Amino acid sequence: MPPEPAADPGSFRDPDSRVFRDGDRILRALSDRGLSDWERLVGSSFFGRMQEEGKIVPTERIEDPEATRHEGFPAAATLRHARVPFVSYPYEWPFSMLRDAALLQLELLRAALAEDMILKDASPFNVQWHGSRPVFIDVGSFELLPDGEPWAGYRQFCCLFLNPLMLQAYAELPFQSWLRGSLEGIEPAEARAVLRGRHTLRAGVLAHVALHARLERREGERDTRTEVKKAGFRKELIEANVARLQKLVGKLDWGSEKTAWSDYSDRAHYDAEELERKDRFVRETCASVGPGLTWDLGSNDGRYSRIAAEHSGYVVAVDGDHATVEALYRDLREARDERILPLVMDLADQSPARGWRGAERGRLEERGRPDLILCLALVHHLSIAANVPLAEVLDWLASLGGTVVIEFAGRDDEMVKRLLSRKRDDAHPDYTLESFEQALGQRFEIVRREPLASGLRTLYEARPR
Amino acid sequence: MTLLAYLDPGSGSILLQALLGGAAAIAITGKLWWARLLTILRIRKDPVDPPAESASARDEPERSRAS
Repeated sequence: MPPEPAADPGSFRDPDSRVFRDGDRILRALSDRGLSDWERLVGSSFFGRMQEEGKIVPTERIEDPEATRHEGFPAAATLRHARVPFVSYPYEWPFSMLRDAALLQLELLRAALAEDMILKDASPFNVQWHGSRPVFIDVGSFELLPDGEPWAGYRQFCCLFLNPLMLQAYAELPFQSWLRGSLEGIEPAEARAVLRGRHTLRAGVLAHVALHARLERREGERDTRTEVKKAGFRKELIEANVARLQKLVGKLDWGSEKTAWSDYSDRAHYDAEELERKDRFVRETCASVGPGLTWDLGSNDGRYSRIAAEHSGYVVAVDGDHATVEALYRDLREARDERILPLVMDLADQSPARGWRGAERGRLEERGRPDLILCLALVHHLSIAANVPLAEVLDWLASLGGTVVIEFAGRDDEMVKRLLSRKRDDAHPDYTLESFEQALGQRFEIVRREPLASGLRTLYEARPR
Repeated sequence: MTLLAYLDPGSGSILLQALLGGAAAIAITGKLWWARLLTILRIRKDPVDPPAESASARDEPERSRAS
Protein backbone atom coordinates (compact mmCIF):
# COMPACT_ATOMS: atom_id res chain seq x y z
CA MET A 1 0.00 0.00 0.00
CA PRO A 2 1.43 3.42 -0.92
CA PRO A 3 2.23 5.81 1.92
CA GLU A 4 -0.40 8.31 3.01
CA PRO A 5 -0.15 11.57 1.09
CA ALA A 6 1.41 14.34 3.14
CA ALA A 7 -1.03 16.76 4.72
CA ASP A 8 0.13 20.31 4.08
CA PRO A 9 1.28 21.62 7.47
CA GLY A 10 -0.22 25.05 6.72
CA SER A 11 -3.73 23.77 6.08
CA PHE A 12 -5.63 22.31 8.99
CA ARG A 13 -7.74 25.07 10.49
CA ASP A 14 -10.75 24.78 8.24
CA PRO A 15 -12.48 21.54 9.23
CA ASP A 16 -14.17 21.24 5.85
CA SER A 17 -11.19 21.47 3.56
CA ARG A 18 -7.62 20.27 3.79
CA VAL A 19 -4.67 20.38 1.43
CA PHE A 20 -2.40 17.41 0.70
CA ARG A 21 0.75 17.04 -1.34
CA ASP A 22 1.18 13.94 -3.40
CA GLY A 23 4.49 14.30 -5.18
CA ASP A 24 3.95 17.18 -7.56
CA ARG A 25 0.20 17.14 -7.16
CA ILE A 26 -1.58 19.63 -4.91
CA LEU A 27 -4.81 18.03 -3.69
CA ARG A 28 -7.63 19.21 -1.49
CA ALA A 29 -9.87 16.90 0.49
CA LEU A 30 -13.40 18.11 1.22
CA SER A 31 -15.78 17.10 3.99
CA ASP A 32 -19.45 16.49 3.21
CA ARG A 33 -20.20 20.13 3.82
CA GLY A 34 -17.14 21.16 1.84
CA LEU A 35 -18.40 19.07 -1.05
CA SER A 36 -21.81 20.70 -1.09
CA ASP A 37 -20.12 24.13 -1.06
CA TRP A 38 -17.89 23.00 -3.95
CA GLU A 39 -20.89 21.85 -5.97
CA ARG A 40 -22.52 25.20 -5.41
CA LEU A 41 -19.30 26.96 -6.46
CA VAL A 42 -18.96 24.94 -9.64
CA GLY A 43 -22.55 25.80 -10.52
CA SER A 44 -21.93 29.54 -10.07
CA SER A 45 -21.28 31.85 -12.99
CA PHE A 46 -18.24 33.57 -11.49
CA PHE A 47 -16.09 30.54 -10.68
CA GLY A 48 -15.32 29.58 -14.28
CA ARG A 49 -14.88 33.19 -15.30
CA MET A 50 -12.45 33.96 -12.47
CA GLN A 51 -10.40 30.87 -13.30
CA GLU A 52 -10.19 31.95 -16.94
CA GLU A 53 -9.08 35.40 -15.88
CA GLY A 54 -6.36 33.82 -13.76
CA LYS A 55 -7.82 35.10 -10.50
CA ILE A 56 -8.65 31.70 -8.97
CA VAL A 57 -6.27 28.77 -9.15
CA PRO A 58 -7.34 26.24 -11.82
CA THR A 59 -9.09 23.43 -9.97
CA GLU A 60 -10.76 20.20 -10.97
CA ARG A 61 -12.45 17.39 -9.12
CA ILE A 62 -10.72 14.05 -9.43
CA GLU A 63 -12.05 10.58 -8.72
CA ASP A 64 -9.18 9.24 -6.66
CA PRO A 65 -10.28 8.68 -3.06
CA GLU A 66 -6.91 7.11 -2.20
CA ALA A 67 -5.13 10.32 -3.09
CA THR A 68 -6.25 12.08 0.06
CA ARG A 69 -6.64 9.06 2.34
CA HIS A 70 -5.75 10.42 5.74
CA GLU A 71 -6.50 9.41 9.26
CA GLY A 72 -8.97 11.78 10.86
CA PHE A 73 -10.12 13.41 7.65
CA PRO A 74 -12.57 11.28 5.71
CA ALA A 75 -12.79 12.94 2.33
CA ALA A 76 -16.15 13.18 0.60
CA ALA A 77 -14.40 14.45 -2.50
CA THR A 78 -10.94 15.32 -3.78
CA LEU A 79 -9.92 18.36 -5.79
CA ARG A 80 -6.71 18.92 -7.67
CA HIS A 81 -5.19 22.40 -7.93
CA ALA A 82 -2.66 23.73 -10.39
CA ARG A 83 0.65 24.51 -8.68
CA VAL A 84 1.84 28.02 -8.02
CA PRO A 85 5.49 28.45 -9.02
CA PHE A 86 6.80 29.57 -5.61
CA VAL A 87 4.95 30.08 -2.32
CA SER A 88 5.36 33.46 -0.63
CA TYR A 89 3.85 35.12 2.41
CA PRO A 90 2.38 38.57 3.06
CA TYR A 91 5.30 39.52 5.32
CA GLU A 92 7.50 39.19 2.24
CA TRP A 93 5.37 41.39 0.00
CA PRO A 94 5.78 45.09 -0.65
CA PHE A 95 2.85 47.40 0.03
CA SER A 96 1.20 47.18 -3.40
CA MET A 97 1.29 43.38 -3.43
CA LEU A 98 -0.64 43.26 -0.16
CA ARG A 99 -2.98 45.91 -1.51
CA ASP A 100 -3.60 44.03 -4.78
CA ALA A 101 -4.15 40.80 -2.84
CA ALA A 102 -6.73 42.65 -0.71
CA LEU A 103 -8.50 43.94 -3.80
CA LEU A 104 -8.61 40.44 -5.29
CA GLN A 105 -10.06 39.09 -2.04
CA LEU A 106 -12.78 41.77 -2.08
CA GLU A 107 -13.54 41.29 -5.77
CA LEU A 108 -14.07 37.56 -5.27
CA LEU A 109 -16.15 38.18 -2.17
CA ARG A 110 -18.43 40.52 -4.06
CA ALA A 111 -18.82 38.10 -6.94
CA ALA A 112 -19.65 35.34 -4.48
CA LEU A 113 -22.21 37.47 -2.61
CA ALA A 114 -24.04 38.20 -5.86
CA GLU A 115 -24.74 34.46 -6.07
CA ASP A 116 -25.53 33.95 -2.40
CA MET A 117 -22.12 32.59 -1.53
CA ILE A 118 -19.40 34.07 0.65
CA LEU A 119 -15.73 33.68 1.52
CA LYS A 120 -15.64 32.20 5.01
CA ASP A 121 -12.30 33.85 5.82
CA ALA A 122 -10.13 36.69 4.56
CA SER A 123 -6.50 35.72 4.78
CA PRO A 124 -3.69 36.98 2.56
CA PHE A 125 -2.13 33.52 2.94
CA ASN A 126 -4.90 32.43 0.55
CA VAL A 127 -3.39 34.55 -2.18
CA GLN A 128 -0.30 33.48 -4.10
CA TRP A 129 1.47 34.85 -7.17
CA HIS A 130 2.41 34.13 -10.73
CA GLY A 131 5.02 36.86 -10.92
CA SER A 132 3.03 40.05 -10.53
CA ARG A 133 -0.36 38.37 -10.94
CA PRO A 134 -2.18 37.45 -7.73
CA VAL A 135 -4.18 34.25 -7.69
CA PHE A 136 -6.60 33.05 -5.03
CA ILE A 137 -5.76 29.49 -4.01
CA ASP A 138 -8.19 28.53 -1.26
CA VAL A 139 -11.16 27.23 -3.20
CA GLY A 140 -12.40 25.71 0.07
CA SER A 141 -13.08 29.22 1.38
CA PHE A 142 -16.20 29.62 -0.73
CA GLU A 143 -19.33 28.56 1.06
CA LEU A 144 -23.07 29.00 0.94
CA LEU A 145 -24.02 32.34 2.48
CA PRO A 146 -25.58 31.51 5.84
CA ASP A 147 -28.88 33.35 6.21
CA GLY A 148 -28.75 36.44 8.40
CA GLU A 149 -25.09 35.96 9.28
CA PRO A 150 -22.48 38.69 9.04
CA TRP A 151 -19.21 38.19 7.19
CA ALA A 152 -17.10 36.05 9.53
CA GLY A 153 -13.90 37.13 7.78
CA TYR A 154 -14.33 40.88 8.29
CA ARG A 155 -12.19 41.04 11.42
CA GLN A 156 -9.51 38.93 9.77
CA PHE A 157 -9.59 41.21 6.75
CA CYS A 158 -8.91 44.18 9.03
CA CYS A 159 -6.12 42.42 10.95
CA LEU A 160 -4.26 40.97 7.99
CA PHE A 161 -5.00 43.34 5.12
CA LEU A 162 -6.48 46.68 6.07
CA ASN A 163 -4.59 47.54 9.25
CA PRO A 164 -1.16 46.68 7.82
CA LEU A 165 -1.92 48.73 4.72
CA MET A 166 -3.20 51.72 6.68
CA LEU A 167 -0.25 51.64 9.09
CA GLN A 168 2.13 51.74 6.15
CA ALA A 169 0.21 54.32 4.13
CA TYR A 170 -0.70 56.67 6.99
CA ALA A 171 2.05 56.20 9.56
CA GLU A 172 5.00 54.90 7.47
CA LEU A 173 5.12 51.84 9.72
CA PRO A 174 6.56 48.84 7.82
CA PHE A 175 4.02 46.06 8.22
CA GLN A 176 6.26 43.13 7.22
CA SER A 177 8.04 42.69 10.54
CA TRP A 178 4.74 42.94 12.42
CA LEU A 179 3.03 40.34 10.23
CA ARG A 180 6.08 38.13 10.53
CA GLY A 181 5.80 38.35 14.28
CA SER A 182 2.06 37.68 14.36
CA LEU A 183 0.34 35.42 11.87
CA GLU A 184 -2.98 36.69 13.24
CA GLY A 185 -2.08 40.17 12.07
CA ILE A 186 -2.63 43.56 13.66
CA GLU A 187 -5.68 43.76 15.92
CA PRO A 188 -7.97 46.81 15.90
CA ALA A 189 -6.76 47.95 19.34
CA GLU A 190 -3.13 47.61 18.26
CA ALA A 191 -3.71 49.58 15.07
CA ARG A 192 -5.54 52.20 17.13
CA ALA A 193 -2.51 52.59 19.39
CA VAL A 194 -0.64 53.94 16.37
CA LEU A 195 -3.43 55.51 14.32
CA ARG A 196 -4.43 58.17 16.84
CA GLY A 197 -4.71 61.95 16.84
CA ARG A 198 -4.51 63.41 13.33
CA HIS A 199 -4.54 59.88 11.84
CA THR A 200 -8.12 59.48 13.07
CA LEU A 201 -9.27 61.76 10.26
CA ARG A 202 -7.68 59.64 7.51
CA ALA A 203 -10.05 57.56 5.38
CA GLY A 204 -11.21 54.40 7.10
CA VAL A 205 -9.54 54.96 10.47
CA LEU A 206 -12.57 56.18 12.38
CA ALA A 207 -14.80 53.27 11.37
CA HIS A 208 -12.51 50.29 10.85
CA VAL A 209 -9.94 51.11 13.54
CA ALA A 210 -11.24 53.50 16.20
CA LEU A 211 -14.85 52.31 16.36
CA HIS A 212 -13.80 48.72 15.78
CA ALA A 213 -11.38 48.79 18.72
CA ARG A 214 -13.96 50.46 20.93
CA LEU A 215 -16.74 48.01 20.09
CA GLU A 216 -14.42 45.10 20.55
CA ARG A 217 -13.54 46.31 24.03
CA ARG A 218 -17.15 46.99 24.97
CA GLU A 219 -18.96 44.12 23.28
CA GLY A 220 -16.46 41.33 23.86
CA GLU A 221 -18.78 39.29 26.04
CA ARG A 222 -22.05 39.80 24.19
CA ASP A 223 -23.58 37.44 21.69
CA THR A 224 -23.98 40.12 19.05
CA ARG A 225 -24.36 37.44 16.40
CA THR A 226 -27.78 36.48 17.70
CA GLU A 227 -28.66 40.12 18.26
CA VAL A 228 -27.96 41.31 14.72
CA LYS A 229 -29.65 38.26 13.29
CA LYS A 230 -32.81 39.06 15.23
CA ALA A 231 -32.63 42.66 14.10
CA GLY A 232 -32.74 41.45 10.51
CA PHE A 233 -29.12 41.39 9.35
CA ARG A 234 -28.95 40.61 5.63
CA LYS A 235 -26.65 40.31 2.68
CA GLU A 236 -27.03 43.94 1.57
CA LEU A 237 -25.15 45.07 4.66
CA ILE A 238 -22.15 42.92 3.80
CA GLU A 239 -22.28 44.13 0.21
CA ALA A 240 -22.34 47.76 1.32
CA ASN A 241 -19.41 47.20 3.68
CA VAL A 242 -17.40 45.37 1.03
CA ALA A 243 -18.06 48.13 -1.52
CA ARG A 244 -16.76 50.67 1.01
CA LEU A 245 -13.69 48.57 1.65
CA GLN A 246 -12.98 48.28 -2.07
CA LYS A 247 -13.09 52.05 -2.40
CA LEU A 248 -10.93 52.54 0.68
CA VAL A 249 -8.25 49.98 -0.20
CA GLY A 250 -8.19 51.17 -3.82
CA LYS A 251 -7.19 54.64 -2.63
CA LEU A 252 -4.50 53.56 -0.18
CA ASP A 253 -1.09 54.44 -1.52
CA TRP A 254 2.51 54.17 -0.41
CA GLY A 255 5.78 54.38 -2.26
CA SER A 256 4.64 56.37 -5.29
CA GLU A 257 7.33 58.99 -4.77
CA LYS A 258 10.02 56.47 -3.95
CA THR A 259 10.66 55.13 -7.42
CA ALA A 260 14.33 56.13 -7.36
CA TRP A 261 16.33 53.04 -6.39
CA SER A 262 17.47 53.42 -2.88
CA ASP A 263 20.87 51.94 -3.63
CA TYR A 264 22.09 53.01 -7.02
CA SER A 265 25.61 53.48 -5.78
CA ASP A 266 26.53 49.83 -6.24
CA ARG A 267 26.23 50.22 -9.96
CA ALA A 268 27.33 53.82 -10.34
CA HIS A 269 30.98 53.09 -11.02
CA TYR A 270 30.39 50.62 -13.81
CA ASP A 271 30.75 52.18 -17.22
CA ALA A 272 28.46 51.12 -20.05
CA GLU A 273 30.92 48.66 -21.54
CA GLU A 274 31.54 46.91 -18.24
CA LEU A 275 27.88 46.82 -17.41
CA GLU A 276 27.37 45.10 -20.72
CA ARG A 277 30.07 42.54 -19.89
CA LYS A 278 28.38 41.86 -16.55
CA ASP A 279 25.03 41.43 -18.29
CA ARG A 280 26.61 39.04 -20.78
CA PHE A 281 28.25 37.00 -18.03
CA VAL A 282 24.92 36.56 -16.26
CA ARG A 283 23.07 35.84 -19.49
CA GLU A 284 25.61 33.20 -20.59
CA THR A 285 25.48 31.41 -17.26
CA CYS A 286 21.68 31.40 -17.24
CA ALA A 287 21.63 30.02 -20.77
CA SER A 288 24.07 27.24 -19.94
CA VAL A 289 22.38 26.24 -16.66
CA GLY A 290 18.82 26.57 -18.01
CA PRO A 291 17.44 26.79 -14.48
CA GLY A 292 13.91 25.87 -13.51
CA LEU A 293 14.12 28.21 -10.53
CA THR A 294 16.48 31.15 -10.16
CA TRP A 295 16.95 33.24 -7.04
CA ASP A 296 18.22 36.76 -7.51
CA LEU A 297 19.48 37.74 -4.06
CA GLY A 298 19.88 41.49 -3.65
CA SER A 299 17.81 42.07 -6.76
CA ASN A 300 17.67 45.88 -6.58
CA ASP A 301 15.81 47.20 -9.66
CA GLY A 302 15.52 43.71 -11.13
CA ARG A 303 17.98 44.21 -13.99
CA TYR A 304 19.49 40.74 -13.54
CA SER A 305 16.18 39.12 -12.64
CA ARG A 306 14.95 40.15 -16.05
CA ILE A 307 18.04 38.77 -17.74
CA ALA A 308 17.70 35.53 -15.77
CA ALA A 309 14.02 35.28 -16.67
CA GLU A 310 14.98 34.94 -20.35
CA HIS A 311 16.32 31.47 -19.59
CA SER A 312 14.65 30.49 -16.29
CA GLY A 313 11.37 28.81 -15.55
CA TYR A 314 10.77 31.29 -12.74
CA VAL A 315 12.74 33.94 -10.88
CA VAL A 316 12.39 34.91 -7.22
CA ALA A 317 13.85 38.39 -6.75
CA VAL A 318 14.71 39.17 -3.14
CA ASP A 319 15.81 42.50 -1.72
CA GLY A 320 15.82 43.93 1.78
CA ASP A 321 14.73 47.41 0.78
CA HIS A 322 10.95 47.81 0.82
CA ALA A 323 10.83 50.88 -1.43
CA THR A 324 13.02 49.17 -4.03
CA VAL A 325 10.89 46.04 -4.13
CA GLU A 326 7.73 48.17 -4.25
CA ALA A 327 9.08 49.95 -7.34
CA LEU A 328 10.09 46.64 -8.95
CA TYR A 329 6.63 45.18 -8.34
CA ARG A 330 4.97 48.21 -9.90
CA ASP A 331 7.18 47.87 -12.99
CA LEU A 332 6.49 44.15 -13.28
CA ARG A 333 2.76 44.69 -12.81
CA GLU A 334 2.78 47.36 -15.50
CA ALA A 335 4.51 44.90 -17.84
CA ARG A 336 2.14 42.08 -16.76
CA ASP A 337 5.21 40.02 -15.96
CA GLU A 338 4.42 36.53 -14.66
CA ARG A 339 7.97 35.16 -14.44
CA ILE A 340 9.51 37.28 -11.68
CA LEU A 341 8.28 37.25 -8.08
CA PRO A 342 9.59 40.25 -6.10
CA LEU A 343 9.96 39.74 -2.36
CA VAL A 344 11.09 41.95 0.55
CA MET A 345 13.48 40.15 2.83
CA ASP A 346 16.60 40.98 4.77
CA LEU A 347 18.89 38.11 3.84
CA ALA A 348 20.70 38.41 7.14
CA ASP A 349 17.36 37.92 8.91
CA GLN A 350 15.34 35.64 6.67
CA SER A 351 11.75 34.46 6.95
CA PRO A 352 11.64 31.93 9.76
CA ALA A 353 9.54 28.82 10.16
CA ARG A 354 6.29 30.05 11.68
CA GLY A 355 2.98 28.94 13.14
CA TRP A 356 1.94 25.75 14.86
CA ARG A 357 5.04 23.66 15.54
CA GLY A 358 6.95 25.98 13.27
CA ALA A 359 5.56 24.13 10.30
CA GLU A 360 2.71 26.23 8.93
CA ARG A 361 4.84 28.76 7.11
CA GLY A 362 8.19 27.64 5.80
CA ARG A 363 11.60 29.19 5.39
CA LEU A 364 12.58 30.31 1.93
CA GLU A 365 14.60 27.22 1.04
CA GLU A 366 11.82 24.91 2.23
CA ARG A 367 9.60 26.27 -0.53
CA GLY A 368 11.76 25.33 -3.48
CA ARG A 369 15.48 24.98 -4.16
CA PRO A 370 17.07 27.24 -6.75
CA ASP A 371 19.00 25.77 -9.67
CA LEU A 372 20.74 29.11 -10.10
CA ILE A 373 21.51 31.82 -7.55
CA LEU A 374 22.55 35.34 -8.48
CA CYS A 375 24.51 37.15 -5.76
CA LEU A 376 25.46 40.39 -7.38
CA ALA A 377 26.64 43.29 -5.24
CA LEU A 378 25.52 41.36 -2.18
CA VAL A 379 28.43 39.68 -0.43
CA HIS A 380 29.93 42.89 0.98
CA HIS A 381 26.56 43.91 2.41
CA LEU A 382 26.18 40.59 4.20
CA SER A 383 29.77 40.22 5.21
CA ILE A 384 30.68 43.78 6.21
CA ALA A 385 27.42 45.58 6.95
CA ALA A 386 25.68 42.60 8.60
CA ASN A 387 28.86 40.96 9.98
CA VAL A 388 28.08 37.49 8.60
CA PRO A 389 31.48 35.79 8.09
CA LEU A 390 32.36 35.13 4.44
CA ALA A 391 32.58 31.39 5.11
CA GLU A 392 29.05 31.41 6.57
CA VAL A 393 27.66 33.22 3.53
CA LEU A 394 29.26 30.67 1.21
CA ASP A 395 28.20 27.72 3.39
CA TRP A 396 24.60 28.82 3.09
CA LEU A 397 24.82 29.30 -0.67
CA ALA A 398 26.48 25.90 -1.07
CA SER A 399 23.73 24.26 1.02
CA LEU A 400 21.15 25.38 -1.55
CA GLY A 401 22.71 23.12 -4.16
CA GLY A 402 22.55 25.39 -7.21
CA THR A 403 25.05 27.10 -9.47
CA VAL A 404 26.00 30.59 -8.27
CA VAL A 405 26.94 33.75 -10.06
CA ILE A 406 28.65 35.72 -7.35
CA GLU A 407 30.32 39.11 -7.34
CA PHE A 408 33.11 40.06 -4.99
CA ALA A 409 33.93 43.73 -4.43
CA GLY A 410 37.46 44.31 -3.13
CA ARG A 411 38.50 46.62 -0.31
CA ASP A 412 39.22 49.48 -2.71
CA ASP A 413 35.72 49.44 -4.13
CA GLU A 414 33.87 52.66 -3.26
CA MET A 415 30.90 50.88 -1.69
CA VAL A 416 33.15 48.59 0.35
CA LYS A 417 35.24 51.56 1.47
CA ARG A 418 32.11 53.28 2.65
CA LEU A 419 30.94 50.22 4.56
CA LEU A 420 34.39 49.70 6.12
CA SER A 421 34.69 53.37 7.09
CA ARG A 422 31.90 52.85 9.60
CA LYS A 423 33.89 50.10 11.32
CA ARG A 424 37.07 50.26 13.36
CA ASP A 425 40.28 50.27 11.33
CA ASP A 426 41.20 46.61 11.76
CA ALA A 427 37.70 45.24 11.15
CA HIS A 428 37.16 42.38 8.68
CA PRO A 429 40.84 41.55 8.04
CA ASP A 430 39.76 38.39 6.19
CA TYR A 431 37.73 40.35 3.67
CA THR A 432 40.12 39.96 0.74
CA LEU A 433 39.89 38.60 -2.78
CA GLU A 434 42.34 35.81 -1.94
CA SER A 435 40.48 34.51 1.09
CA PHE A 436 37.15 34.84 -0.72
CA GLU A 437 38.36 32.91 -3.73
CA GLN A 438 39.88 30.23 -1.54
CA ALA A 439 36.66 29.84 0.47
CA LEU A 440 34.60 29.77 -2.72
CA GLY A 441 36.89 27.13 -4.25
CA GLN A 442 36.53 24.91 -1.17
CA ARG A 443 32.77 24.76 -1.57
CA PHE A 444 32.24 25.12 -5.30
CA GLU A 445 33.96 24.35 -8.53
CA ILE A 446 34.89 27.72 -9.99
CA VAL A 447 33.93 27.54 -13.66
CA ARG A 448 35.12 31.00 -14.69
CA ARG A 449 35.97 34.41 -13.35
CA GLU A 450 35.86 37.87 -14.86
CA PRO A 451 37.40 41.03 -13.42
CA LEU A 452 35.19 44.09 -13.64
CA ALA A 453 35.21 47.75 -12.66
CA SER A 454 38.92 48.11 -13.43
CA GLY A 455 39.73 45.12 -11.26
CA LEU A 456 37.87 46.40 -8.19
CA ARG A 457 35.23 43.71 -8.58
CA THR A 458 35.32 40.12 -9.74
CA LEU A 459 32.50 38.00 -11.08
CA TYR A 460 32.48 34.22 -10.64
CA GLU A 461 30.43 31.36 -11.98
CA ALA A 462 30.68 28.48 -9.56
CA ARG A 463 28.99 25.07 -9.57
CA PRO A 464 28.24 22.93 -6.57
CA ARG A 465 30.78 20.21 -5.84
CA MET B 1 -29.42 24.30 12.02
CA THR B 2 -27.25 27.35 12.31
CA LEU B 3 -23.86 27.05 10.70
CA LEU B 4 -21.13 28.45 12.87
CA ALA B 5 -18.07 29.75 11.09
CA TYR B 6 -14.76 28.07 11.91
CA LEU B 7 -13.45 31.58 12.39
CA ASP B 8 -14.64 33.58 15.38
CA PRO B 9 -16.09 36.67 13.72
CA GLY B 10 -15.58 38.74 16.90
CA SER B 11 -18.53 40.29 18.79
CA GLY B 12 -17.44 43.86 18.19
CA SER B 13 -16.70 43.18 14.53
CA ILE B 14 -20.21 41.80 14.03
CA LEU B 15 -21.80 44.87 15.52
CA LEU B 16 -19.59 47.12 13.44
CA GLN B 17 -20.75 45.37 10.28
CA ALA B 18 -24.34 46.15 11.21
CA LEU B 19 -23.35 49.81 11.52
CA LEU B 20 -21.29 50.00 8.32
CA GLY B 21 -23.89 48.54 6.00
CA GLY B 22 -24.89 51.82 4.34
CA ALA B 23 -28.59 52.73 4.11
CA ALA B 24 -29.71 49.25 5.12
CA ALA B 25 -27.75 49.67 8.33
CA ILE B 26 -30.02 52.40 9.70
CA ALA B 27 -33.04 50.13 10.17
CA ILE B 28 -30.95 47.30 11.61
CA THR B 29 -29.14 49.57 14.03
CA GLY B 30 -32.44 51.08 15.16
CA LYS B 31 -33.91 47.65 15.83
CA LEU B 32 -30.77 46.53 17.58
CA TRP B 33 -30.68 49.39 20.06
CA TRP B 34 -34.45 49.24 20.55
CA ALA B 35 -34.11 45.58 21.52
CA ARG B 36 -31.34 46.48 23.94
CA LEU B 37 -33.44 49.25 25.46
CA LEU B 38 -36.38 46.90 26.00
CA THR B 39 -34.01 44.47 27.67
CA ILE B 40 -32.64 47.15 29.94
CA LEU B 41 -36.18 48.22 30.87
CA ARG B 42 -36.94 44.53 31.52
CA ILE B 43 -39.79 44.63 29.02
CA ARG B 44 -38.11 41.86 27.07
CA LYS B 45 -36.08 38.89 28.26
CA ASP B 46 -32.37 39.11 27.49
CA PRO B 47 -32.14 38.04 23.87
CA VAL B 48 -28.42 37.60 23.98
CA ASP B 49 -28.19 34.52 26.18
CA PRO B 50 -25.91 32.28 24.18
CA PRO B 51 -27.12 28.73 23.59
CA ALA B 52 -25.98 26.52 26.44
CA GLU B 53 -23.74 24.23 24.43
CA SER B 54 -21.66 27.05 23.01
CA ALA B 55 -21.41 29.08 26.20
CA SER B 56 -18.10 27.65 27.32
CA ALA B 57 -16.65 27.79 23.83
CA ARG B 58 -17.17 31.53 23.82
CA ASP B 59 -15.08 32.17 26.89
CA GLU B 60 -11.86 32.34 24.98
CA PRO B 61 -12.55 33.21 21.36
CA GLU B 62 -10.17 31.43 19.10
CA ARG B 63 -9.39 33.47 16.07
CA SER B 64 -8.10 31.22 13.43
CA ARG B 65 -6.42 31.98 10.21
CA ALA B 66 -7.11 30.39 6.92
CA SER B 67 -6.17 27.01 5.69
